[in-house]
Amino acid sequence: MPRVVKSREEFEGEIFESLVLVEGKDLPLPAAGTEFSEIGRSRRRVDGVQRVTGRARYTQDVYLPGMLYVRVLRSPYPRARVRRIDTKKAEKLPGVRGVLHRFNAPKAAFRGEETIFREEVRFVGDEVAAVAADDEQTAVEALRLIEVDYELLPHVVDLEEAIGDMAPRLDTDGNVAEAATHKRGDAKRALKEADFVVDATYRTSTQVHNSLETHGAVAAWDGEQLTVYESTQHTFGVRQGLRTALKLPFSKIRVLCDYMGGGFGSKGGAGKYSIIASLFSMQLGRPVRCVLTREEENIAAGNRSATLQQFRIGGKAGRITAIEHTSWANVGQGRWVANPTGPTNTLYDIANLSSKSYKVVTNAGSLAAFRAPGYVEGTFALESAVDELAEKMGVDPLTLRRKHAGSPKDPMSGKKYSDKHLLECYRIGAAEIGWQRRRSGGIRGSAPHRRRGIGMATQIWGGGGGPPAYATVHVNPDGTVVLTAGTQDIGTGTRTVLAQICADELGVDLDAMQVRIGDTDHPYGPISAGSVTTASMGPAVRIAARDAKEQLLGAAAGVLETPKAELRLEGGAIVSKGARTPLGEILSKVENNTVIGRGARHPNDPDLSQRTFGAHFAEVEVDVHTGEITVEHIVAVHDIGRIVNPTTARSQVEGGVLQALGFALSEERFLDRATGRVMNANLENYKVPTVKDVPAKITVKFVDRPDRKANNLGIKGLGEPPIIPTAAAIANAVANATGARVRHAPLTRARVLEALAVAGARS
Amino acid sequence: MNAFSYARPRALAEALRMLRNGAVALAGGTDLVGLMKDGLARPQSLVDLTGIEGLRGWSHAKGRGLRIGALTPLVELETSDALAKTMPIVRESLRDAATVQLRTMGTVGGNLLQRNRCWYFRDEGTVCWLKGGSRCFAIDGENRYHAIIGANECVIVSPSDLVPALLAYDAEIALTSSRGTRRMKLADLFIAPHGKERREHSLRPGELITEVRVPEAALARRGTYLKAMDRKAWSFALVSVAAAARIERGVARDVRVIMGGLAPVPWRVIAAEKALEGTTLDDASCADAADRLLAGATPLRDNGYKVTLARELVRRALRSLVA
Repeated sequence: MPRVVKSREEFEGEIFESLVLVEGKDLPLPAAGTEFSEIGRSRRRVDGVQRVTGRARYTQDVYLPGMLYVRVLRSPYPRARVRRIDTKKAEKLPGVRGVLHRFNAPKAAFRGEETIFREEVRFVGDEVAAVAADDEQTAVEALRLIEVDYELLPHVVDLEEAIGDMAPRLDTDGNVAEAATHKRGDAKRALKEADFVVDATYRTSTQVHNSLETHGAVAAWDGEQLTVYESTQHTFGVRQGLRTALKLPFSKIRVLCDYMGGGFGSKGGAGKYSIIASLFSMQLGRPVRCVLTREEENIAAGNRSATLQQFRIGGKAGRITAIEHTSWANVGQGRWVANPTGPTNTLYDIANLSSKSYKVVTNAGSLAAFRAPGYVEGTFALESAVDELAEKMGVDPLTLRRKHAGSPKDPMSGKKYSDKHLLECYRIGAAEIGWQRRRSGGIRGSAPHRRRGIGMATQIWGGGGGPPAYATVHVNPDGTVVLTAGTQDIGTGTRTVLAQICADELGVDLDAMQVRIGDTDHPYGPISAGSVTTASMGPAVRIAARDAKEQLLGAAAGVLETPKAELRLEGGAIVSKGARTPLGEILSKVENNTVIGRGARHPNDPDLSQRTFGAHFAEVEVDVHTGEITVEHIVAVHDIGRIVNPTTARSQVEGGVLQALGFALSEERFLDRATGRVMNANLENYKVPTVKDVPAKITVKFVDRPDRKANNLGIKGLGEPPIIPTAAAIANAVANATGARVRHAPLTRARVLEALAVAGARS
Repeated sequence: MNAFSYARPRALAEALRMLRNGAVALAGGTDLVGLMKDGLARPQSLVDLTGIEGLRGWSHAKGRGLRIGALTPLVELETSDALAKTMPIVRESLRDAATVQLRTMGTVGGNLLQRNRCWYFRDEGTVCWLKGGSRCFAIDGENRYHAIIGANECVIVSPSDLVPALLAYDAEIALTSSRGTRRMKLADLFIAPHGKERREHSLRPGELITEVRVPEAALARRGTYLKAMDRKAWSFALVSVAAAARIERGVARDVRVIMGGLAPVPWRVIAAEKALEGTTLDDASCADAADRLLAGATPLRDNGYKVTLARELVRRALRSLVA
């Protein structure tokens, strides 16, 4: 019987309490020494062939008969009032089927606002109007024919300008709002009493997601039912957003996401493009496609906030005694803010701490969650500051961290961790990188003008997952199995990993498995974000598989006329006293049938704090005359519980390291302050790493011990952890190599050369 | 992109006739198509040159210099071992240029005539001075990639990797129109936009670059090309330098130093080259040459680092000639 229970889950650094529906009983952890047939084994992706042959259908591949194309007119001004829109010329253009804007669009609530076309547009790229036409080219031409009368308003786009007194106030309460604060002990006093204090300001620039597949949706209204194909991390979130905007019941909305080309946090729910496509489809009775261009993707689909962070960190007698950390983040027109002080508050056991996080609004595109939002920015500052303190104290930075990293308790909440092996990560990582080679002042590089250095940084993140998450397992009469769930595979390998968990528990071969996900007609699945997917879905899948298995064994007992207790299901066959009968053979003796197993994710232990830990080590070479950084080796060690598939886990870490490499060295959005325009909304001047930038060596290691108190599989998430500590590890390695401390990510030539000049002047 | 007519003639004369009538030349399209997509070029008609015989490939008649057809794909120059022996700087410059896809499509002539990469210029919504507007937005805007020297009303930089390499060999070009052919020094093709000259090239309407010629004497120089980028591939130069000289008994003769990414045109200072004549390209001479090259540099808010980079690349490139 389903029942309602209280659940308390961590998500992206915040704690959420809710009531959730669960059913049945949770399973115990597999006994120590259990031989798994699938879990823990490297498996190729079950959908790998579909992907590499181009058969996999992404939202951008969806072309429906009679489909119309939408293009969006976006504000060219950072702040303006839309006084009048004249669409007559656009409407007369042959092939144009509809135009929507604030004077004619039906009300459609979106993120707390009543309409998707604002009266006051607030950033360059804000939606002003949309055109649906027979083809894309016509829609583009029609946009040029729309005349808009804008009343320009004062604007500010830069973080530090927006904080200042001279900036226009964008909200009645001002541009700056306190978002989070934490205090323990007496940081002020401890800093006064410290023998060494580092007082430093760090900055991180705006990073843009640049998912390979841009945001987009194809909506098809058939008079009864709205079907929306969307590139999303949460089909159910899109359904919720559409219900709010369109006032349709859930039963009339179906959201599908078969394959998707990355989201990194920015595709958490319905976008304005989803609503625009749906409105047009419902008005015009034809399928409608609204897919963003690369430029739109980079100006209006979210970003990682730029931050300004002030640190005071004090040390005494070989320990860190206090931290004061204040962060300001440019959220653009976003309504929330990620918390860069999260890692400061929770990573190390430090007695005296005071932190504050401020949200700063500007006339720039909204932030969107971006792979460990806040934690990437915050860890860059925290772990740089810890290294700066260690240097000042004359102690080894890893030794200093070890003194504060071993605590079994969350220093913020006081709760015990469900499990923690951070010191083990340090030990493995130090051995892999050859930490004993590290010398204060760096070591010789491959040429006289090149210096080599080693640095490291730590990561803490959530990833424990939790309810609600459901799965069903259908077993066909031929012994093949269909796992159905409402989750989606955002590119991480969810299909593969869930198939492994299901096949393992059920006792069938992976080849017998089919995984159907990405559909809101399936049982609910959580957002694929916060590194929760495997840890939320996996335990539910295991229960569903167990449920099906018990039923199959019951059926087999009837067919074989053998007591159920004497039967096992193994490799797709019922095993009884050494005799193996294929499952299909047994089921074929019963009239057409479907065995259905059901599983629900059960809540976590509310008295424990579930966290993932890890450490990255970087070895770099720096050309001290040109400021060129070459990352030679990254060692990534993670403590995320049991590893389900070492191959997909490794690619998750490699991908995180590379995305972090961009954040660390080259990725940076540029906004023109005078016009509010993004100068590099393209892949030419927004520099994601190329294959030549990839470190010569990336070593990936896992502690790989089940977190016995986490869930029935002992697994935790890995999506975000590998992007968190890389930038700080690189910055620390650069400082080790050259004595130049770069306090602004990315570490561009200009910044490195400037820091080298400062370091040169000092020595 | 606007609608346009398209033709692909087989004869040069036919192409020239179309150009005279206002058609825009299309070769590899790696720049033009992008400009069209971004609404920065709106040609009514395109004349595709790729069907014309005789403008592709290169040849070297010993003693009479080297000739490169304007339609030669960049990749052909890059991958030719024979050319790399004759003009090693060209291969070096192309290895770091764009991507293999772009080098495969892009042609020599197109590379010489590519337009600048200033992000204000490339933004359709910004009417900058070069596009007929009243002011340059980069001078007091986002200018980390912009000129530190030699600029007037407009602070674009010369983007090509190939051009400094060709200039290090004193390259000349042939320009053909329906009225005939004229030759000029490649260096004279480039204009630092100023006053009424709101353009980057001195090409006249209806003209086509048909070939590049390198005098035999220049091929005696050894040389190198160095380029600093924001990442390790597929980036325009922050600063680049092509350096060449004949080294006779340990001293430098006939020195050339041409820099990209610094100024609106490929940056060359004759006095700097003269000062290097007869030196051993020792550190002091290199530093002196860098001083002369960068004399009068006026960095903007975000591009001061280019001065440091330029000095180091010049030193390194020149030192490598005697290494």
